[in-house]
Amino acid sequence: MTTALHLVAGLDFNTLPQQLVNGLLLGAIYALIALGYTMVYGVLKLINFAHGEVYMLGGYVALFVSYYLGFRPDKVGPTHSSIWNLLIMLVACMVICSLVGVAIERFAYRPMRSHSRIASLITAIGVSLLLQYGGALFLPNSPPPSISELVNPYHGQSKDFTLVAPPASLKATVDSLKPASDLAAANYKSWLDSHPGADTYNLPKDGDALKHAAQDAKGKYEDAQHKLDTGGVRLIIQTGQAVMLISTIVLMGALTYMVLFTKRGRAMRAVSHDFDSASLMGVNVNSIVLFTFILGSSLAGAGAMMTATFLGTPLTTFYGLVPGVKAFTAAVLGGIGNIPGAVLGGLLMGMAENLVVWAGYSNYRDAIAFVVLIIVLLFRPGGLLGSSKVEKV
Amino acid sequence: MRPAPTAAGNTATGNTIVVGMVSSLNGDLKPWGDDSAKGGQLAVEEFNKMNPDGIGGKKIDFRIADSNSKPEQGKSAAEKLMSDGAVAIIGEVASGITAQMAKAAFDKGVPVIAVGATRTDLTDIGTNVFRVCYTDAFQGPVMAKFAYDELSKKKAAIITDIKQPYSVGLSQSFKDAFVKAGGTIVDEESYNSGDTQFSGQLTKVKAANPDVIFMSGYFNETGPLARQARDQGIGMDVPLLGGDGWDSREILNSGGAAILGSFFCNHYNNKETRPEVTDFLKKWKAKYGTEPGTTMGALGYDGTMLTLQSLKAAKGPDSKDLIDALENTENFPGVSGSISLKGMGGSPHKRALVVELTKDGQVFRKAYEWNDIYPATAAPNTP
Amino acid sequence: MKFWGIRLVSILVAVGACFALQGLTGHWSDYAQRIVVLIGLYVTLAVSLNLINGITGQFSIGHAAFYQVGAYTAGYLTLTYFNSPRVQGMLHGLPANSRLTIWLLLMIIVGALAAALAGLLVGLPSLRLKGDYLAIVTLGFGEIIRIIVQNQQALGGSYGMNVTPKYESIAVIWLLAIICIACCRNLLKTAHGLPFLSVREDEVAGQAMGVNVTRTKVTAFLIGSAFAGAAGALLAHFEGFITPATFGMDVSFIILTMVVLGGTGSITGSVIAAALLTYLPEYLRGFKGADGNALSLSGANVVAWMVGVALAVGLIRWVMQKHVESKGKRLGFYVGAIVAGAVGRIVGNLVFAHIAPLQDKQIPIDQVRMVIFAVVLIVIMLLRPQGIFAHHEFSWSLVRRLFKREEVPHTAVSV
Repeated sequence: MTTALHLVAGLDFNTLPQQLVNGLLLGAIYALIALGYTMVYGVLKLINFAHGEVYMLGGYVALFVSYYLGFRPDKVGPTHSSIWNLLIMLVACMVICSLVGVAIERFAYRPMRSHSRIASLITAIGVSLLLQYGGALFLPNSPPPSISELVNPYHGQSKDFTLVAPPASLKATVDSLKPASDLAAANYKSWLDSHPGADTYNLPKDGDALKHAAQDAKGKYEDAQHKLDTGGVRLIIQTGQAVMLISTIVLMGALTYMVLFTKRGRAMRAVSHDFDSASLMGVNVNSIVLFTFILGSSLAGAGAMMTATFLGTPLTTFYGLVPGVKAFTAAVLGGIGNIPGAVLGGLLMGMAENLVVWAGYSNYRDAIAFVVLIIVLLFRPGGLLGSSKVEKV
Repeated sequence: MRPAPTAAGNTATGNTIVVGMVSSLNGDLKPWGDDSAKGGQLAVEEFNKMNPDGIGGKKIDFRIADSNSKPEQGKSAAEKLMSDGAVAIIGEVASGITAQMAKAAFDKGVPVIAVGATRTDLTDIGTNVFRVCYTDAFQGPVMAKFAYDELSKKKAAIITDIKQPYSVGLSQSFKDAFVKAGGTIVDEESYNSGDTQFSGQLTKVKAANPDVIFMSGYFNETGPLARQARDQGIGMDVPLLGGDGWDSREILNSGGAAILGSFFCNHYNNKETRPEVTDFLKKWKAKYGTEPGTTMGALGYDGTMLTLQSLKAAKGPDSKDLIDALENTENFPGVSGSISLKGMGGSPHKRALVVELTKDGQVFRKAYEWNDIYPATAAPNTP
Repeated sequence: MKFWGIRLVSILVAVGACFALQGLTGHWSDYAQRIVVLIGLYVTLAVSLNLINGITGQFSIGHAAFYQVGAYTAGYLTLTYFNSPRVQGMLHGLPANSRLTIWLLLMIIVGALAAALAGLLVGLPSLRLKGDYLAIVTLGFGEIIRIIVQNQQALGGSYGMNVTPKYESIAVIWLLAIICIACCRNLLKTAHGLPFLSVREDEVAGQAMGVNVTRTKVTAFLIGSAFAGAAGALLAHFEGFITPATFGMDVSFIILTMVVLGGTGSITGSVIAAALLTYLPEYLRGFKGADGNALSLSGANVVAWMVGVALAVGLIRWVMQKHVESKGKRLGFYVGAIVAGAVGRIVGNLVFAHIAPLQDKQIPIDQVRMVIFAVVLIVIMLLRPQGIFAHHEFSWSLVRRLFKREEVPHTAVSV
């Protein structure tokens, strides 16, 4: 059933569930970073352009911690990792990123608080450039290092869900091709056994013919196998990615709790609503601002640690720029200053990007984020969850 | 036909000969630019040791300028070097940058010796343009032939880095050759350098059932691409193929188990037993401590050494004579292979080595000569 | 009448200066000429962005988009059509050596119009969007344009597009800059400019006073983007080659930085900042140390410098906030702060030299220059956030005031 109908207007609906899951995971990362932008904006009305660099530094912290735990590229290290390694890395990233965020606030943003917003913006750009290029001087940048996949205790593990089974005829085809493949392979193998030491890439005519016969038969068999694999609707979720998603949800839950149910969180919301009135009411705004930066930066650090560890991202000091801009876009999409908005915006952007790829336009993937933004802002100028009031006389 | 520059070029005056090199010391291409620059410096040192009095009594003044991985800055860097009197410009590692440098150099009559620029029509800019590496018109068909003939793969998917001109050109070259050989391209996807998430594209690729995937981008993204491809369920029976952009120490680390059993096209191999290779590795380790990260180290070395040796062989320390000397190069024993430029239209017919990535690093599998792809062509460099 | 006399002379001098510049730099190296050209283009870009950001108060940070639209439109038309029989036929009646000039002038206008169209597309949504939302929309627009162009094979894709024939005229580029400056200045200083300023200061009040806010904002975008597009057309013809990478986000940020550094709302500031920020990285590129070779610093040096600068800036800020009556004492404190910074650097050098990996790491000045750029940016923002020139402008009356030293009545409106 699905093999016939799944292609509608060139769109392969068999892969849609997988793409939606992909989008969810991508969106979760954007959401984590976007939260940092949105919280800082809510409290200070400042676009923290250096947030992408905090994310970038988080990746490097994760890298160095992984070295410390023994997973160096040039040495033979432990072959197994455990969840404790991950927790150590996570905590280290969150703590150090918080410190960096706090330092940036204290030394670059606080002095600018009484001045124009655009001046703060330029300072933020300056800090961003300083971290990128300054980091490039001292951090390993070229070739970009990445965290060994062995650090991920779940690497290689995945869960496979078959939502719709492939038609039985495909399995029959696979089974029918197996004997021929095995036979040809056996013929080739026996030739190789009788010609020890032969260079399999430069064989004499008879061996070569057998090799190609074996490859052709095997190719047909494998092709049928592939068709079987993709004949139904399947969902493959990496255990590591599931862990990532769950961790992200937990972190966002913790954040929500802190913002909604603690005194600090209430103060933060008050400052966000009206900076001056809150300080008049006795809120220590400096302390709340620090608190905000700690929260936002640690989330970015957590996000960086997860992408670096589970996705094997190569680290350069410039790799925070693009996710930073995209996450900021996501925050604006959801309504800047609005925490659930940031999450919604992040998820929406991740989904949109993957759906664009699914539709076949992977070369426009980066543009789609902005197109979605513009369309949403046309109808809701305050973002999805922001206010849509336009001031009129 | 390649036009000849009309300008007179630079002549070395005083007691030094200025030789310039443009390299991407910052930006996307930093890993290759750094290696190329290091290779150049090593070559200059070696040359100076062999020729303590310099060339004709003049010492070599070797200057490296940063292109920041951008064509306009590369052009501006080349112009500055030329205005400082450089008789030759060595570089760059990428075709987009080299094209602009070559045009500026053509206007001045100064030769450009490209290190790792593989775009085929680069040498059409003028008779002042040379390179020490092979072209995409060679590399693409090599990998296509390897896939189709050697691995018996008939259905390919291509993943291109559309931000890098190198990748776009190589993908096209592979595609044309693979289709010509009889294969089909089942899917084409793209990404931008700097991306980290490819699950969307890979899900689509998997659904198209390829039996081989050609990834023409640089190694930075290839590692995560490989890992995520296997995560998406593309099994190890679908090998991954690539071009010389894969070459790096890091690729095994970033690709992990996912990239084992992949093949790519390289210029030379660190484990070769040729004396040029072993010598070079020894000297490099002595100066820099580790092995070169990428083949640009060797290519930068070859490009610089070739330029300096040609300067020595040239009639006079000036651009015009240098162009003639370069044009007459025959069987220059480069680290990356034997380089002959005579009558080649600027691009040597070098050997391509297809290597497999194993736990122990790059293992040489098969070599392809120019004639394997283009049997007995009359005109050089035209497929 | 006297007023007009000075005006006319200023204009003639400015135009003459452009041609003089061309003549002067004609014998300079390509590299030096290129810097002069880039400064001219960035002046146009900065001043045109200032019109949108500084004068009209709109938060636009995607200016490179208009630059790109102008460049690609003009470049594509020249590449495709200049040598076509139709165009050659149309130009036939003109003297040979002015054909390309006429075509170029036409292309400048076309580039400006195309960019203005883009400006309209961006300007219209701006009506409904508040500050920071507008910012991200303009940034996004820039990226969308860049990605669309990158995907068009007809425009060369990521390889870039060659533009032939080239037209390398420093005079025309600087003429454009002069025209842009004049246009914006006249807008600012006359009654035409008041609506722009009122939109910046208080939109609601302005609207209440009868200012057509919509029209003003859109006009600002149109004019600003038109000039950027014209600059783009000139870039395409000067370089003979453009690629999407030339017009990335970083270019938008640099132009924005020039505007803010010079002082948003100050045209003079934008001009000076544009010149400085274009020249400084190039100057640092070739900076030579005592031995005549390109300067190379050790890691320890770099860190020590940063410590010294941070110390000096921190102290200067502290002094700025302290209330010191006498000017001399204040100056003394500033000098003291700088000395403290220098001492900090020396001490830092001594301390960090003991950390082996830092001391051994040699960093060529080429790689440090962007760090220097960033530090300069941060320092200037921390010490003078309103920009170097704040709201002030260079003007003849200022010069007169400096020379005459009479009692000039202080009016509310600064001239």
